[in-house]
Amino acid sequence: MKSLNLQRVFARNTYLISFILLVIVLGINYIVQNNVFELRVLNNNLRTLLPLILLAVGQSIVVIGGGLDLSVGTLVSMLSALLVTWVTPDSTPDQILLAVVLVCAAGMLAGLVNGLVVAYLRLQPMITTYATSFIFSGIALLLLPRPGGSIPRDLSTFYRSPLLDIPLAFYAIALLLLFWSVLRTTRYAQYLYATGSSGAAAYATGVPVRVVRVTTYVWSGLFAALASLTLMLSTGGASQANIGDDMTLDSIVAVVLGGTRLSGGQGGIAGAIIGVMILRVIRNVIFFAAVPTWSQTLVNALIIIAALAGPGLIRLIRRSIGR
Amino acid sequence: MSRLQTMRVIVILLTFVLLFSSMQALVVAQDMCTGPFTIGVSNSFVGSEWRTQMVQNIEDVVAEFNAAGIQVELVVESADTDVAGQQQQIQNLLNRGVNAIIINPGDQNALNLDLEDAVAQGVAVIAVDQEIGAQGVYNVVIDQTEWARISARWLAENLGGAGDIVLIEGFVGHPANEARMSGALEVFGEYPGINIVGRESGGWDQATGQQVMSDFLASLPNIDGVWTQDGMAFGVLAALNTANPEKWPLNTGEARAGYLQLWDEVLMAHPDYKSIGVVNPPGVGADGVRVAMEMLCGGTVDAGQLAGPFGNTLYVPIPYAVTAEDFASYYATVANLPASYTMDGFITQTQAAAFMGQ
Repeated sequence: MKSLNLQRVFARNTYLISFILLVIVLGINYIVQNNVFELRVLNNNLRTLLPLILLAVGQSIVVIGGGLDLSVGTLVSMLSALLVTWVTPDSTPDQILLAVVLVCAAGMLAGLVNGLVVAYLRLQPMITTYATSFIFSGIALLLLPRPGGSIPRDLSTFYRSPLLDIPLAFYAIALLLLFWSVLRTTRYAQYLYATGSSGAAAYATGVPVRVVRVTTYVWSGLFAALASLTLMLSTGGASQANIGDDMTLDSIVAVVLGGTRLSGGQGGIAGAIIGVMILRVIRNVIFFAAVPTWSQTLVNALIIIAALAGPGLIRLIRRSIGR
Repeated sequence: MSRLQTMRVIVILLTFVLLFSSMQALVVAQDMCTGPFTIGVSNSFVGSEWRTQMVQNIEDVVAEFNAAGIQVELVVESADTDVAGQQQQIQNLLNRGVNAIIINPGDQNALNLDLEDAVAQGVAVIAVDQEIGAQGVYNVVIDQTEWARISARWLAENLGGAGDIVLIEGFVGHPANEARMSGALEVFGEYPGINIVGRESGGWDQATGQQVMSDFLASLPNIDGVWTQDGMAFGVLAALNTANPEKWPLNTGEARAGYLQLWDEVLMAHPDYKSIGVVNPPGVGADGVRVAMEMLCGGTVDAGQLAGPFGNTLYVPIPYAVTAEDFASYYATVANLPASYTMDGFITQTQAAAFMGQ
């Protein structure tokens, strides 16, 4: 009976295996890097991670709803370019607030375009968002043909420092988890999971499948906007036209590492957050374990593959023991 | 004082001077500098031979210090990564407790705050290859503007100061490309007889450079010269070699093994062919280590020698240029090397010490 309960716990909380994995890699990290839990180190590590965490959260909502968003990285590039063309070191708080609202609106609008094409024109999410990624990339280049940009220094200093001796990113993660736990209690969340697991069945039972699909991309656009805001806070507003492009793949890998299957209808944002942390901690371990320079990339890739295959392997072993 | 005594004093003094200068040539002020030091390297792009050579040169110079009895540990963060990834590289190096960071910045501005944090923690930070404006950071680079002037001057002079030329540039908007173009255009501006009849981007890519050159040959068959840079030069020469036009324009080349090998091949059919390859040395990484070591040993950078767009750059000399006159001897050194090998050059420890003030 007891093992059955444990199985149920794992099934309900898909991120548990990932969480255990994170604890293990963090333990290894601590062995090779004793200062990893010091406030300053923790704060700096999490600060550079927050943009990807936000992006992965948006990605996981799309994936849960049965889609995939390959445009998030270039969307970050475009929105960052947009932000730094509006905000300068001399901007007033009102102007900055307006720019932030406009960037968020632009992100949601870009997501809306993705969502409408996917839900109403019935194009494959992968093809659609791959295509729009070039549009966003093109706009980014138009807005910011050469690297540049700068925001008021006080803002980045605030973002880069711990608040009340707690890394700022902790507050952000707490807010994200709170947002998600509230969302989970709504009917919208039920629709979201139903749409992701089987669109046709959900449609038959009266779920507004198309609308739900569209909203997932709008969420993704909004989180891309938040990611670009934090990225610009972290760099002091210095951007370039391709600053976020590489983040797309990492956001998807993080979602999968967090136990959310790309087939949809399952998973959550906690997993995505854990997934991003695992990705980062693995790189730390490789550096501090003094892996030779020319092997770092390969070792990193092998560990990620192993981590991705881990849950599947565990299921396989459990099944073969069960029989 | 007798004459003998005077002689003795002179001899002793001379011995000291010789001893000091020979020690200087080997390593920095030895008594202050036994280490141990940890030097961190942050490199955000691993797809090019240039970067590989840069890291290997750094490893070599560190080994040299260790052989001379100065304990230097090298930790390298080298991986293809974006801005956030390189920020993490910097954090990892700081958490590792490095005394100095040698960084090839993947972005001109976005890493400044992190590097300024490092400087505030007492870490010596040297940016190589790409100049950045971070406070307290020193850039160790070659002067890309002068680098471009050398080949532009060669082209203008070898055309006798007159003719129609085309320019094939790298990434428009990239700081290195802008610096080079300004240098080249400045030189061509000094020759009223030189007309620039075309200007295209070859994206610093060999294949694109070849395509652009083929298009130029088709549309402007009478051009007298081509000014280009880096890998695109190979593409330009390959296009010329393939098309073999009636009239061969004069083209600037590059100091890479592949280009010299193609040059040698072209010479068989066109014994009069000439070009120029100005060295853009990956050795700046090792130069950065030498400057960092001077700083770690108590040296302070001489403010009078600082230059560049942000006023924090130490320009290292451009090593040399390969031209038709000395082609054979340079070709012999790279004939059997991989095509992507870049011809290199370094400053000595004495030259690094000369960057320090009192």
